[in-house]
Amino acid sequence: MRKYSNIRQIFNYLIIFISVLLCLLLLPARLPGMELLGIHPNWLLIWVVAWSVKRTSFEGAIAGLILGLIQDGMTGADPTHIFGLMLVGIITSQLQKEKYIKEDFISISLIVFGMVFLTETITAIQYMLQGLRSVGNIWFHFQKVALASAILSSLWAPVLYYPLNIWWSKLDKFKKGSFRYD
Amino acid sequence: MRRWWQKHGLPIVLTGLVIILAWFLRQSDGALISEIYALVSRPFQVEITLEQRLTNAKIAELETKVTELEKQNQQLKKLAGHIEQQKEPMITAPIIGRSADYWWNQVLIGRGSQDGVKKGDVVTGVGGLVGRIIDVTPHSSRVLLISDPQSRVGSSVTRSRHLGYITGQGSQIVVMSFFEKVPDVKVGDTITTSSVSPLYPPGIPIGKVKTLALENGPAPEVMIELTVPLNYLEWVTIQAFEPKDVIEDQINNKNNDS
Repeated sequence: MRKYSNIRQIFNYLIIFISVLLCLLLLPARLPGMELLGIHPNWLLIWVVAWSVKRTSFEGAIAGLILGLIQDGMTGADPTHIFGLMLVGIITSQLQKEKYIKEDFISISLIVFGMVFLTETITAIQYMLQGLRSVGNIWFHFQKVALASAILSSLWAPVLYYPLNIWWSKLDKFKKGSFRYD
Repeated sequence: MRRWWQKHGLPIVLTGLVIILAWFLRQSDGALISEIYALVSRPFQVEITLEQRLTNAKIAELETKVTELEKQNQQLKKLAGHIEQQKEPMITAPIIGRSADYWWNQVLIGRGSQDGVKKGDVVTGVGGLVGRIIDVTPHSSRVLLISDPQSRVGSSVTRSRHLGYITGQGSQIVVMSFFEKVPDVKVGDTITTSSVSPLYPPGIPIGKVKTLALENGPAPEVMIELTVPLNYLEWVTIQAFEPKDVIEDQINNKNNDS
């Protein structure tokens, strides 16, 4: 039983790696149907939400930190993506889903919708503190980006969340089951 | 202690490793990801259609004419005692990706250091100036578009030769701020890169003046519509360019920032 659990663990790391890589590769791509006003879904944010839903705040924050670092590398580090994504990880894991929200597609889409607004606001604030752009320009851009990205991201969120969630709940079941045999 | 380590050791070590990897990716400007992306997107790169072929042929014809005129111009300048260095060959590159975040205006192109692209090279497209190379990997490079708010381009009005600089607004419209208090500029004037610009060679078309806002303080401003359709470009041309020495340090600093 132990042997199988190791294989499952390695398989799990592989799935995590491949899904993150897929999200990263989707970022620069502009595929038909994934674009609105030249804006595309925020795949990394969707991934962080999917990851943090059933995990602790610490795990959520670490995921946000790692993906934030990578996204900084792909665009620019000033303003940084780290704060936004870490906060998304922390808040998503803190949401009391049993009480208020059921774990289905719609609630995940709703969380993603809210989180996009949160991260875009953080980016906009960083731009304002930086002072290179005029406030009017930032505000105009913020409205466009936040709304379009929130709509697109929440619509595409289940595509990523559904398979990952199935795998992780299966893994959870196996883990709980295997404790009996250990 | 040992049991604790047995339970949590592996996740801690792995998390540490992943953070180090992520930091490395950040410091290398995501070079690994750009490379993988360039590799994966290679089969999907668009073929040139007949219409584009004809347009390209027309452009090639005009380019030949321009080269011919430049040659003549150079010879005349030589006669007049003016020395200018020979232009280096151009590289054509497909646009394979857009910026990974919509607050930035960048594109990813499918040519890199193996094809002779260097940091600081100038990128043009059908219609004029597109931007400059800020990051190079072996098979791809990243272009900072002139529409990016962090981009500054020294520019001049072709008609009156009045100087200023252009700042991106994240869209097809850019803002030109003038150095003079009362610049001679009208709606419809064409704008090109200026001869004092340290980052771009002089004379590349940028756009046309759309609206005037001369009473804007601290410097008079005009809105300029870019002639390059940035959102629809599929191919660009890369022109080797050495940024002028004086502010090379500044460029490097800026690249580190952006």
